[in-house]
Amino acid sequence: MTCVARASLLVPSMSEEGEMSSLRRRRRSPAASPLEDDDLLSEILLRLPPQPSSLPRASVVCKSWRRLVTDPQFRRRFRLRHRRNPPLLGFFNRFDGLSFQPTLDAPDRVPLGRFPLQRDDGDYFVSLGCRHGLLLIFLPERLQILVWDPVTGDQHRLTIPPVVAERAEKIGISGAVYRAAGDVQQFQVFLAVTDGDGPKHRRALACVYSSKTCLWGNLISTPIPHQAHGSQFFTMVTGDALLAGDSLYWVLAGNLDGILEFDLEKQSLAVIQPVDVRGRRHFKLMWAEGGGLGFLFISESDRYTAQLWKRLTGRDAIASWVLARTIELDKLLSLNPEEEERIVMLGFVENNNVLLLWTVVGVFTIHLESLKFKKLFKTMQMSHYHPFESV
Amino acid sequence: MATREAGKKMIMLKSPDGMEFEVEEAVAMESQTIRKMIEDDCADTAILIPNINSKILSRVIEYCNKHVPTTGATGAAASDTVAPAALAEDLKIWDAEFIKVNRATRFDLIQAASYLNIKGLLDLTSQTTIDTISDNSLEEIRSFLSTKNDYLPEEEQTIRRENQWAFQ
Repeated sequence: MTCVARASLLVPSMSEEGEMSSLRRRRRSPAASPLEDDDLLSEILLRLPPQPSSLPRASVVCKSWRRLVTDPQFRRRFRLRHRRNPPLLGFFNRFDGLSFQPTLDAPDRVPLGRFPLQRDDGDYFVSLGCRHGLLLIFLPERLQILVWDPVTGDQHRLTIPPVVAERAEKIGISGAVYRAAGDVQQFQVFLAVTDGDGPKHRRALACVYSSKTCLWGNLISTPIPHQAHGSQFFTMVTGDALLAGDSLYWVLAGNLDGILEFDLEKQSLAVIQPVDVRGRRHFKLMWAEGGGLGFLFISESDRYTAQLWKRLTGRDAIASWVLARTIELDKLLSLNPEEEERIVMLGFVENNNVLLLWTVVGVFTIHLESLKFKKLFKTMQMSHYHPFESV
Repeated sequence: MATREAGKKMIMLKSPDGMEFEVEEAVAMESQTIRKMIEDDCADTAILIPNINSKILSRVIEYCNKHVPTTGATGAAASDTVAPAALAEDLKIWDAEFIKVNRATRFDLIQAASYLNIKGLLDLTSQTTIDTISDNSLEEIRSFLSTKNDYLPEEEQTIRRENQWAFQ
């Protein structure tokens, strides 16, 4: 007996993302080129590089290419496919109304002002960070959170739960936005604040919103240890979050110079203390080798050498740290003695593993593995930049 | 069921031009299409693969032979003894040689990979196609892929204007 393989009757259309293609398929003729078959052509075009010019350029080749690459489902699959290697499109300037500074060269240089925040009210807003193509924004007057996709223009407004809102109003708030692996539609929002009476009775609070359920989860809290030699200021959650492994991390500053960890799997909070934090107030959280938690710090005695410290595995609150490597920034960037006055770490770009630095001669990105660097622009005004990686 | 060696089931694949290929069942099952047929007990003696000529089918079998997870005498996966990174590197080099074919053959392989649902082969053939055009101008892409520009000049201009930065 001879059986005949009938591919299209037996199996759904192939897709590594595990979803069936809904593109209307043309009847497959064995003689036709794969470029004339919608399903095959989209399989091929999905492999275009994630650079922003890829799809606009492909859409000019011919009408059928345009029809395919503008299809929303194709766009979703394209984003999903390149989720692990999104290009660093640029930086949003927190203190300049979220103006956008592109970093790529032509033809991938998405122009300034391409991502104006489309809002119908004149509210004051504070950006809290970027991740997975989304920007997280706090609207203090409405005590709301805005999740914005600058590429599609989608906006979601969330009302902050009362206990967290009360702290946000009084002392400010930090947060993070996150998309689970393999998901380019749903997102989660993490908000973190501190509360308590006096510096000795401090605790960190966090709550999580899921776009899938449209609900906030219960409040999660952890005590913040009192640091006897620390300042009299309240300890607060500060800065952009770092996603490393299965946890989000924020810098704690005030009485305690530490790190707040939110474990995504256990849904729990913990406070980690970096080793000998005195004199290391200006540290930036970043990935250590292998993607675990690390921090980069420039000491006051040697202002041109960046030290990358790596957290050793061990889940206890008193983490152990090792100096993994040092980078001589003045030599790397060929700075003259008069230009070396000050080097300031502005931020870390997660997927691209890039450090953003300010110097008198300009703002630089440095790829931490290859140490390749690029001068972006010159500014005397130091700002807070949110790196924007997106496909 | 045809058997050649003890413990190894064999499957006969037939191309429409009359050629027959006897392959190990495990190799044939690299194709999800064939796997489904075997699992549905629809493959007693031979499977006719329509649309794929013997030249292409033999290349596809060559690919599947190389990529089937091999097992040693003890039944342990070969990757237990050889470092996975070394295996992956070896496969990468082999793939790069395998795909050194002309455009027509590559397109036939894309169709065969899709028809037989062989993910690795579809990845390799499609990515190679993209890599050959990624640094080219639009005109070169059209000519290289024999794709006709069916826009009117003013239509093309309008589309370019939508994202002018991408054409600088």
